[in-house]
Amino acid sequence: MADPPNRGLPDEISIWEILVRLPPKALLRCRAVCRAWRSATSTRDFLLAHHGHQLTLPLLYGCTNVGVQGEVLDIIPFDHRPGLAAADQLQSVARLVLGLSYPCVEASCNGLLLLSLGRRDFFVCNPATRQYAPLRQIYGYVLLGMYPHSPTGEYRLLLYWDEDLIYPDLAPGTQDGSYVFTLGSGEPPRYTGYPDSGILMFSNSILFHGSLHWHIDKDASTSNMIMLFDTTSESFRQMRAPVVPGHASLFEMDGMLGMSSFNHAATTIDIWMSQDYDSEAWALKYRVDLPVTDLTAQFGKFTETWNVVVTCWNGDVLMLIKFGEWLLQVDADGKLVASFHRKLVRFT
Amino acid sequence: MATREAGKKMIMLKSPDGMEFEVEEAVAMESQTIRKMIEDDCADTAILIPNINSKILSRVIEYCNKHVPTTGATGAAASDTVAPAALAEDLKIWDAEFIKVNRATRFNLIQAASYLNIKGLLDLTSQTTIDTISDNSLEEIRSFLSTKNDYLPEEEQTIRRENQWAFQ
Repeated sequence: MADPPNRGLPDEISIWEILVRLPPKALLRCRAVCRAWRSATSTRDFLLAHHGHQLTLPLLYGCTNVGVQGEVLDIIPFDHRPGLAAADQLQSVARLVLGLSYPCVEASCNGLLLLSLGRRDFFVCNPATRQYAPLRQIYGYVLLGMYPHSPTGEYRLLLYWDEDLIYPDLAPGTQDGSYVFTLGSGEPPRYTGYPDSGILMFSNSILFHGSLHWHIDKDASTSNMIMLFDTTSESFRQMRAPVVPGHASLFEMDGMLGMSSFNHAATTIDIWMSQDYDSEAWALKYRVDLPVTDLTAQFGKFTETWNVVVTCWNGDVLMLIKFGEWLLQVDADGKLVASFHRKLVRFT
Repeated sequence: MATREAGKKMIMLKSPDGMEFEVEEAVAMESQTIRKMIEDDCADTAILIPNINSKILSRVIEYCNKHVPTTGATGAAASDTVAPAALAEDLKIWDAEFIKVNRATRFNLIQAASYLNIKGLLDLTSQTTIDTISDNSLEEIRSFLSTKNDYLPEEEQTIRRENQWAFQ
């Protein structure tokens, strides 16, 4: 098999073995190489495959006003791998000029983003292809979570509706409770019951083991719990959670479900891991003392105690915390690892 | 039927240009494609590997020989005396040497790794191509991959403008 010296790779290989492994910025550039690449990288299968090759990183976003174009939304994963220069750790992977003011990233799933304006106008957006579509059917609903429905391969939204919420102009007779909406369908959201699901709107969901999970904070003296929504059977159930004072955030680490929470004084963070997910057994892994006074003196006020992102790399636990206009990275000993001056960055 | 040598099961691989390579089954099974054929009992006689010439196939086998986990009778010596970290370091150096080939050979190796489904070889061979694409202009990418630009100039400009920031 003699090869002409200038033969390249077959498109099939270029697309499915090379483009699929490119970092997002290089991939966006390659869409301008030729038509075949552009159409191939716009498909759902490609998006999924490309997403599968990316590391799972905490997602941040920030809005910048750029004058006539309006607001620009930057999607910025926090790349915490060691050896990267600080400037490379917070690199935008998508920049969207949406002509919308103050868009908010509500949820992300396999590279698809769900945006909102003021939590009532929703948009679904594919940052790789820059396609976005308004979701008028769900105006007035509260978003609880986004998930892939594995039996059908559809992306679905879990919503909540409550008559007492602020939108009296909507369809009369809508029942209070949770609803499911399929992205791309013309059908209105489908009622699934569970009128008490309103408590879920106050915490962020994470997708783990095929279920959406929310931490529900009750009164500090009573036991806390985690609410689960099985994305295959589309039904709710509860899971035991360790007793912590007030609010806790859930995260995934090393294939386990984790939970972080502050003490009342907001000076220590407890990190719990579900040692055995099925038997709902939890263990306290770290208690991190945060040098709040020192950090406040250096970076400004610490107000967003609910805004902590726990990540892990090669077994080392790192936390992202916002102090004033700074984003700080702190290790399990409470030691400051890195600081980034990012005023407008928000966690998703 | 595959032959036996020192208690090891051997597999015969054939390239389309008629060359035959006898390799240990464990080495051949570094390829998920061949592993599946063996597990599905489709590998009684020699396995014909289409589209991969003998020159490339011999290099692929060389790679698999080096990367097959060293367990069992003959491999014991290596893993007993050398620390895992040193072994990994040795492999890295070996890989870096292995990949010092011209563009055409590298592209052939990528195709072979893709067809035979050898993840490590695919990662190794595609990485240099990925680096080239990440660091170069559109014109350089096109010439590197021999891809023709079929956009009209104004179309290309529009697409560039859509993601202006990615070109900065």
